[in-house]
Amino acid sequence: MIDDNLIDERLTALFAEPEAAPDEAFVGRIQRAVLAEQRMAAARKALWLRFGIEAAGSVAVAIAFVLLGRLGPFTLELGKGPSGPGLAAGLVLLLWLAVELRPVAATKT
Amino acid sequence: MDQDSELARRAAAGDAVAFTALVRLHEGAVRRFLTRLTRGRGADDLSQDVFLKAWRMAGHWRGEGSYRGWLMRIAWTQFLSAHRAAGRSAARDQAAYDLDLPSAPDPDAAIDLNRALAALGERERAAALLCYGEGCSHAEAAEIMGLPLGTLKSIVARARTALAAQLETIQ
Repeated sequence: MIDDNLIDERLTALFAEPEAAPDEAFVGRIQRAVLAEQRMAAARKALWLRFGIEAAGSVAVAIAFVLLGRLGPFTLELGKGPSGPGLAAGLVLLLWLAVELRPVAATKT
Repeated sequence: MDQDSELARRAAAGDAVAFTALVRLHEGAVRRFLTRLTRGRGADDLSQDVFLKAWRMAGHWRGEGSYRGWLMRIAWTQFLSAHRAAGRSAARDQAAYDLDLPSAPDPDAAIDLNRALAALGERERAAALLCYGEGCSHAEAAEIMGLPLGTLKSIVARARTALAAQLETIQ
């Protein structure tokens, strides 16, 4: 019966392989995959940000329409500026326009 | 802080250059382990998956144990997932498989070893590869394979007996 330690030593010797130099082709493959992953992550982040902006804009417009709906017929008295829900709704609509038009302006430049 | 820990810390912060250095340091061991574990089938793709997962999970490395051990643990779990996803049973492929082992000191011995490994179950094969091929202690191998130490020791003992019986060179 062979001693377990002797078998372990022989198996270790049999399994041993000299450390080879790094396989640059494989390393390059991983590098490219990591780069692609980074780009995907950045694109995903931008997409979520865009989605957040769009969602916020949609909510703002919805609120603006609700507020405008509560106003009744629009009348403008002389010497008095718009106030109350009308002003709030107008501001929200302006904000939405600003948010919506900003990326278009940015892409055109 | 050792080189691996420093590189892993930078990789966790999103430094792809540091991660590439880690790949360069450990790809040999990971691919050797997976090549022998999978008997050469799809080992490179699996290795790529391991490193991509390591990149995605870079922030999860706590610095407990070696970075190579952490990678080997990912390699083992990836192997198991791929193995199960492919619907392969634990049936053993007794046929000889032809691996490209140009650096092996004795090609005949390498083929014998590969045949002997092919006859082992996946857990025995992995345990033998980690303990004999990668120089892991039983505790490290148990950690990598997610097994209690006693179970791992039993598996290694079974692998030793099976390998010793099959390898004429050992007798």
